[in-house]
Amino acid sequence: MNVRSQVSMVFHLDKCIGCHTCSVACKNIWTDRKGAEYMWFNNVETKPGTGYPTKWEDQEKYKGGWESNGNGKLDIKSTSRTKIIPNIFHNPHMPSMDDYYEPWTYDYQNLFNAPEGSDQPTAEPISMIDGEKIDVQSGPNWDDDLGGSPIYAENDPNLEGLTEQQKLQLSSVERLVFFYLPRICNHCLNPCCVASCPSGALYKRGEDGIVLIDQKKCRAWRSCVAACPYKKTYFNWFTGKSEKCLLCFPRLETGQAPACFHSCVGRIRYLGVLLYDADRIEEIAKLPDDELVEGHRSMILDPFDPEVIANAKRSGISDGVIESAQRSPVYQFVVKWKIALPPHIEYRTLPMLFYVPPMSPVQASKPEDTIHHASEDLFHDIDASRVPMKFFANLFGAGHEGVVRYALRKQKAVRWHRRAETVGDVDRATADRMLHEANCTREEAEEIYKLTSLCTFEDRFVIPPMHREQAIEMMKEPHEHRTETGFGFVGGPQRGL
Amino acid sequence: MQKVQDEPIPLNAPQCRALCGPDVSDRQRTAWLTALVIAVLWSLAAASALQAQDTPDYFRQNCMNCHTIGGGRLTGPDLKDVTKRKDRTWLANFIANPKAVFDSGDSYAQKIFEESRNVPMPTLPGLTKERLENLLNLIEAESKLEESQFKGLQISNKPFTDADRAFGRAIFLGHSKLDAGGTSCISCHSMYDTPALGGGRLGPDLTNIYERLKGRKSLSAWLMAPGTETMQPIFKSRPMTADEINALAAYFESSAGERPAEAAANRVALLLMGLAGAAALVFGFDAIWKQRFHSVRRRLVDTTPVHKFSQES
Repeated sequence: MNVRSQVSMVFHLDKCIGCHTCSVACKNIWTDRKGAEYMWFNNVETKPGTGYPTKWEDQEKYKGGWESNGNGKLDIKSTSRTKIIPNIFHNPHMPSMDDYYEPWTYDYQNLFNAPEGSDQPTAEPISMIDGEKIDVQSGPNWDDDLGGSPIYAENDPNLEGLTEQQKLQLSSVERLVFFYLPRICNHCLNPCCVASCPSGALYKRGEDGIVLIDQKKCRAWRSCVAACPYKKTYFNWFTGKSEKCLLCFPRLETGQAPACFHSCVGRIRYLGVLLYDADRIEEIAKLPDDELVEGHRSMILDPFDPEVIANAKRSGISDGVIESAQRSPVYQFVVKWKIALPPHIEYRTLPMLFYVPPMSPVQASKPEDTIHHASEDLFHDIDASRVPMKFFANLFGAGHEGVVRYALRKQKAVRWHRRAETVGDVDRATADRMLHEANCTREEAEEIYKLTSLCTFEDRFVIPPMHREQAIEMMKEPHEHRTETGFGFVGGPQRGL
Repeated sequence: MQKVQDEPIPLNAPQCRALCGPDVSDRQRTAWLTALVIAVLWSLAAASALQAQDTPDYFRQNCMNCHTIGGGRLTGPDLKDVTKRKDRTWLANFIANPKAVFDSGDSYAQKIFEESRNVPMPTLPGLTKERLENLLNLIEAESKLEESQFKGLQISNKPFTDADRAFGRAIFLGHSKLDAGGTSCISCHSMYDTPALGGGRLGPDLTNIYERLKGRKSLSAWLMAPGTETMQPIFKSRPMTADEINALAAYFESSAGERPAEAAANRVALLLMGLAGAAALVFGFDAIWKQRFHSVRRRLVDTTPVHKFSQES
């Protein structure tokens, strides 16, 4: 057993209102620079929809992630030792600027400088790439709230395997539905971007598992851009270096939640440490699709288990981090309650960001002029939800409905339980039966309810002590370092070697 | 305190060699110098000997395609006893710059020009005053001989056979290689019956060369030592054999009276073939790389049928 610690995340989609506050907070801190205008380390997508970059989930096109070959080996889809030579001047399967979007601003100066005329002056859009006037064709959330749109929503790769009727249902006016999927880097356990980099510029930090790109080592190969199946590494065309979400590690090191977590209006984001067994990564990543979610979950170790604690200490994990792991909200959602699921685990990167799948309204039909709901129940059966189970399964269960059904059923049971507790229009016996069917107890339902609805900053963000002094100790005398910090300049990323 | 060393540090042999290079004694140095002097002298002698041998070679390469000594006239007159016909000064002037003498209205130069089917004598490449003298001496000396080495190729008079013509064509097209390794004619020339891609365009079309050079004898003489700037360097060291020359002459004789290949038509064909090839490459690679990455969003938008936008529920 090789115990490691990983700062992990849960996004509770049932609470996301799609306000993009997280994206803007991140943009203002990290990607408001030349060459980075098009990057969104954090973005919020409308589902069903094609996302950003367009159809990033379509690995037939983008060739991201790993594929498990018959010979028991795991290969990167986009590159390999042999493929890198013929592709040395051209990395195929790379999203173009148009697949992201061409960033633009507005010619605000014209509002002040326009000569007197008979019309009001306007601020026309201008490209942030070449400064020319631009006919805006797309944006990072171009299909925002466009559930049922014929271009974007209907081409969501997660619609694969749905019946024609289900697809029609999703796009019909008065019946359509959508939810939001905020995305940041998943800081995977088996990161494809790290494995693909020919320069060895990407690395996974030992102490907290954050995946970073060394701006001094990056040689603009862009293999990570093609390899990441979530398309969460971006190439800065100005500095000639790739960049990605850094989970605001400077904030984490000072005990603050990352900007997107901190600013989240719907309080959907949870952050905490997980202990996992690094020896099992390869074995788990090779599992067949239907065992991936359970296998991934089984890697995460119980932070209360004395054996795990002993092994963790042996691996150099400090008591503070172990204690933090014991209070981790992520452990509760992912392992204890099993209602948070990894996105697209079939890419086999073992993402460490988990999503609680959202509830959705009941199906409706309009045989005449009035709309009829498929169920008159307050909390209908999850299979009558407007978002088909298969869609969630494609997104969170590698195509298999079992784990998603379990998570949704438990959420529904918690609602029945709380309704019985507070409103009383649901009788207690029915609520208990629902809980039982969902493999949930009253106590667990209360805990889920509390961490979902009544959570404070401290409940949501259990930030482990980062022990920077220990990391510094490896390089130089900490006291000496202390006297030097704050002086001099940190070099920004620059073009060149 | 460290003890101060006042004795010089003795150098050992490897150190010494590293500092001064390999140690050489005086005697060795003298031997080297002598060897060097001998080498320089020898190379000088070799150079002058080379120059002595140089003149016949020069004559063979530059004069023999038009002249013989005692072999009768080709394009230019037979040079046997030319020094008796004209004085050395005139000859030297004429060889040095034939055009200037001709332009000065010299009547003898005019006569030669007319006799030579109006082919002007070219200015010889690499001609020096010394070489000119050597040439005249050579001509004088060779004229005295019964049988000059520059009598020219002895052209047989036996009629050309079909086998000769076929062999000639094979040589022209490069199907059969020249013995000495010279370049095939088709690299630079074309004929009326060269295949689709035509011959080279560097040299002229040779369809009517037999008449242009006034028959078998002068054609053969030309082939023996081609005199143009392009052909000379190639065939100087790789002369054609008498059989090859005979075969080529047979082939050129057979083509006399044919119409030269239409250069313009060939060019159009070549251009069309080039375009077709380029198009085939483009579409071929497009087919091979059908699975390559194309723009995703743009295609998505472009391939969505318009009627979908006005769809009613």
